[in-house]
Amino acid sequence: MSTLINRRQALRSMMGLGSALTALAVPEPMTAATEEHPAHPVAPHNVVAMLFDSTICTGCKACMPACNEANGLAPDTLLSGGIWDMPTDLNAQTKNIIQLYQEPQGNGFAYVKRQCMHCLDPACVSGCPFGSLKKADWGAVTWNSSLCIGCRYCEVACPFEVPKFQWDSWNPKIVKCEFCYDQRLKKDLQPACTAACPTGAVIFGKRVDLLSQAKDRIAAAPDKYFENRAYGEHEAGGTQVLYLSAVAFEKIGLPKLSSVSLGHYATKVTSVIYKWLAGPLLMAGVLGFAIKKNWDRHETERIKHEEETGFPDQL
Amino acid sequence: MSTRDSNGTTLINHWQLGVPVSRGPVFTRSLLLLAALAALALALAAVRFFSPLGPFSGMNDAYAWGIWKTFNVMTLTALGSGPLALGLAAWVFNRQRLHVVMRTALVSGFLFYSTGLLALGFDVGRPWNFYSALLPWRWNSESAMLEISICMPLYAAVFLSFEILPLVLERVYYTGNEQARTILRTIAPVIRKIYPFFIVGAYVIPLMHQSSLGGLLLLAGTKINPLWQSPVMPLLYLIAAGLCGLSFMIVLLLIVCLRYRRPLDVGVLNELATLLAWVCCGFLVVRFADLLWRHQLKAAFAFDRMSFLFLLESALIMIPAIAFRMRVMRETPRGLLNLAALACLGGMLYRFVPTSITFMPARSTSYFPSLPELIMAIGYIALGIVAFVVAVNFFAVLPGDSSSWDHTFRRIALFRKASKHGTSASAD
Repeated sequence: MSTLINRRQALRSMMGLGSALTALAVPEPMTAATEEHPAHPVAPHNVVAMLFDSTICTGCKACMPACNEANGLAPDTLLSGGIWDMPTDLNAQTKNIIQLYQEPQGNGFAYVKRQCMHCLDPACVSGCPFGSLKKADWGAVTWNSSLCIGCRYCEVACPFEVPKFQWDSWNPKIVKCEFCYDQRLKKDLQPACTAACPTGAVIFGKRVDLLSQAKDRIAAAPDKYFENRAYGEHEAGGTQVLYLSAVAFEKIGLPKLSSVSLGHYATKVTSVIYKWLAGPLLMAGVLGFAIKKNWDRHETERIKHEEETGFPDQL
Repeated sequence: MSTRDSNGTTLINHWQLGVPVSRGPVFTRSLLLLAALAALALALAAVRFFSPLGPFSGMNDAYAWGIWKTFNVMTLTALGSGPLALGLAAWVFNRQRLHVVMRTALVSGFLFYSTGLLALGFDVGRPWNFYSALLPWRWNSESAMLEISICMPLYAAVFLSFEILPLVLERVYYTGNEQARTILRTIAPVIRKIYPFFIVGAYVIPLMHQSSLGGLLLLAGTKINPLWQSPVMPLLYLIAAGLCGLSFMIVLLLIVCLRYRRPLDVGVLNELATLLAWVCCGFLVVRFADLLWRHQLKAAFAFDRMSFLFLLESALIMIPAIAFRMRVMRETPRGLLNLAALACLGGMLYRFVPTSITFMPARSTSYFPSLPELIMAIGYIALGIVAFVVAVNFFAVLPGDSSSWDHTFRRIALFRKASKHGTSASAD
């Protein structure tokens, strides 16, 4: 119980500090709704989501070959000696994985499914220089090979450490779950993993519906779920993959994150400075004025120097 | 231009204009060794172009940025910010005396940037898509990475090159034939006309991308230790660029003047040291105010690993900030060199650690640069040194005494021992 209070206090103080810094750095914008990265993004009504309930997942891993098949990924057979798919983490040929968490003491355990979280305001999309990663229809975060320069900023930015780079390819791609956007979503099919799940541990639907369903499950079984809340409702500004778990979220690899998206944190000041390039242009004007003034004096001195020595002065 | 020989030191005011190095062999044995290292690095870069990044470097998905980005770009372009810091002081803040060392700053800065960009070019995985930089409708305007990937090459290739242009044209003017001189006489007024307007870009653009280098790291969020991860990182990265730029200029000027037996100029070095002390103070004020504001001061003095790293970095910057208050430190070569080197190391440490030592993703793996990665990183620096030595020998880069130079240049002929007076244009 005490950890819970500490956590909440920490979260609250973090949020308080964040908004205080915002207030200091940026005067509250008049049109908060049209902001590129609002502090607390509101999910558009049509965005899709996954709800993963760790208490239902039996660890059958049916979703993993389904994902590989839908995305044309070769099985990762490195550890199994070429026999079957045995990845240890998300990697350049694994977009979806079931991982086991075991209590260090006792025999408690839980399975967790990991894939792209499809954040409402994704850090990778904010950072991607030429828009290779973008928020596509229904909120899926997709990658476009013809725009990516391979700078790997998405890997540095992603708080869930999801995007992977093909280190052993001459023509490397960024590999991450794209919600089966091209393969299935566009054809009115649900993603391969949710379609394959036999127990209903991971289900597909509209984010608003899944969120209310998660809340119904929590209400139906008070104190069954960790902190009586769904992970992803607010984390990193909100994600389109929601988690319910009986064990602490950090234990199953879901990091403790502020409810302010990284995109908001990173651009709240620069978006003001760089709006219509006003900051750089203003700076150019000020510097240009000073430089021109000094330049004119410099020219007078040059002409004098040239008359004295016969050599033109150096710039 | 007063000459003052205080405290009986060897420092006297001698710097009036750029003077080429005209004595001694250019391609000494140590320089050829560096050139060989640079050639090896370029050969490895060629191999890298046809090889995947994976087996070649030590990078992995947790540490997706290796030393090419974290050291050659993040850290060394701070040293390459000399033209920015000196130019602002000379052109904007009216420190007229500093114009004489601008050429040294410009050449070294250009080399830091161009070798950094070279490193970057072989670091990106899909360089063939970089043509998007020319298509503004593809730009993601909110990305700090976009700002850097466009502004850095633009700065080095256009604005910095233009600022260096007079230095090249000068050589052509004094060594070329009458026809070349006639052409230069006609274009020189044009260059002088556009120069003050054009170089505005040479100051606005690095102000933007040097702060964006810090802005890049904001998106890394909690992966970077809270002692470094802060909303003021863009500002601190910019101040650190000025700090490194100024301190590296002092170090560089002292080293090359000792190497080529140039007299030192107490006035200019004193002024640089004074400016550096103020920049150090500014950096520390922002740094500590930020830690206080974010309630991290306790962590800063927790005396654990991160705390020691922070204290080391702060001490390296604080010592020169205090010691440069003393005139004796600003006016003796030993004091100048040691203190400027400390400040330079401190600034470099600040620019380096957020992407390396204090960058700790949750699914952390270990990263240490592979041998080819290291050779390339060092080789790029060797390439810069070789180019700098060549530049100071064949162009009027280093500051000197106007009476010591008759506007002649070494003839460009590889491996031939230059004559004592070089080759004058009139002799041709």
